[in-house]
Amino acid sequence: MRTHTLRYHVQAAAALLAAAAVLLPVFLIDVPWPAAARDYLEHYGVGDSGAINLVSAVYLGFRFFDTLGETLVLIAAVCGTIGMLTRAGAILPEGFDASGMAHGFTGEGEAPDTPTFTIPVEKPKSHTLRTHLLEVVTGVLGPVVLVFGFYVMLYGHYSPGGGFQGGAVIASGIVFLALGKREEVTSMLTQAPVLYRIESASYLLLVLMTVSGLFAGSGFLGNPFARLFDESAAFIMVLDICIGMIVGTGIGFICIAMVGRKVS
Amino acid sequence: MTVILLVLVLILSVYALAARDLLHGIIALSAVSLLCALMFYLLHAPDVAITEAAVGAGITTVVFIGVIRNTERKDRG
Repeated sequence: MRTHTLRYHVQAAAALLAAAAVLLPVFLIDVPWPAAARDYLEHYGVGDSGAINLVSAVYLGFRFFDTLGETLVLIAAVCGTIGMLTRAGAILPEGFDASGMAHGFTGEGEAPDTPTFTIPVEKPKSHTLRTHLLEVVTGVLGPVVLVFGFYVMLYGHYSPGGGFQGGAVIASGIVFLALGKREEVTSMLTQAPVLYRIESASYLLLVLMTVSGLFAGSGFLGNPFARLFDESAAFIMVLDICIGMIVGTGIGFICIAMVGRKVS
Repeated sequence: MTVILLVLVLILSVYALAARDLLHGIIALSAVSLLCALMFYLLHAPDVAITEAAVGAGITTVVFIGVIRNTERKDRG
């Protein structure tokens, strides 16, 4: 017992020491912050990218190549999570496991028949007026959260927000829809084939958008709409929509696959 | 205001670490995310606040509660 507490103290001391080693230089540093990039952004950011929200101008304009890699990392994370869960023997909801991804659904009429994900519904015990709180609240709140997510995603070039932020909110909305799903009400957005098809199509569109600048004469990662309209924020809007759909469906897919595990 | 929020975040984080009932720990973590989102908003970073609220208070809580439902609620350590 004594060695146990001693080890605990040593671990705590090591953690504090590591935190100090990381944080102290930040407080003690005397070098002024680099100002050249900041000043450039302040003067030319809006004109170059068309985005009034300068955060969007940076991650979809000046640093778009990084963003492309980040979305790829997200897709790899989704594939890795599902693959590891399946290999480890977890029972995933139908359609969310690797076999479901391999086969998909063959016909359009087949989709509504396959039950993808249902929280085991607790039957109200003898009291008919008792409602299932989680089901009702999330079911009603889900569409509202989705609308807010789309707003954040679509106005990313203008107000705080953008693809990643809006995508996270959309994922919350999808999870809410899945949690509030009742027997008679179904939503296409909580089905595995719909989710991963949207994600794949969005990434394809994203890659096409990066290459299309070559054919429009503005270069790789360039704005292909620059010659078409004056509104150069159109490119950033399209990229925001692609990234928002990738993030939203990807995170929603993982959450539904993990939370919706059938409990035997 | 920021100091009050930071102290609350610290208290709730320590509680989340020490809580024997894991569900209480998860609710404390969710509250930490919410307070962080409020703090980011006050520090003029609204987009970070949106992400923190959606991911921290929404998605991680859902995933953790799903994990608890499939394992067990008490910490045995």
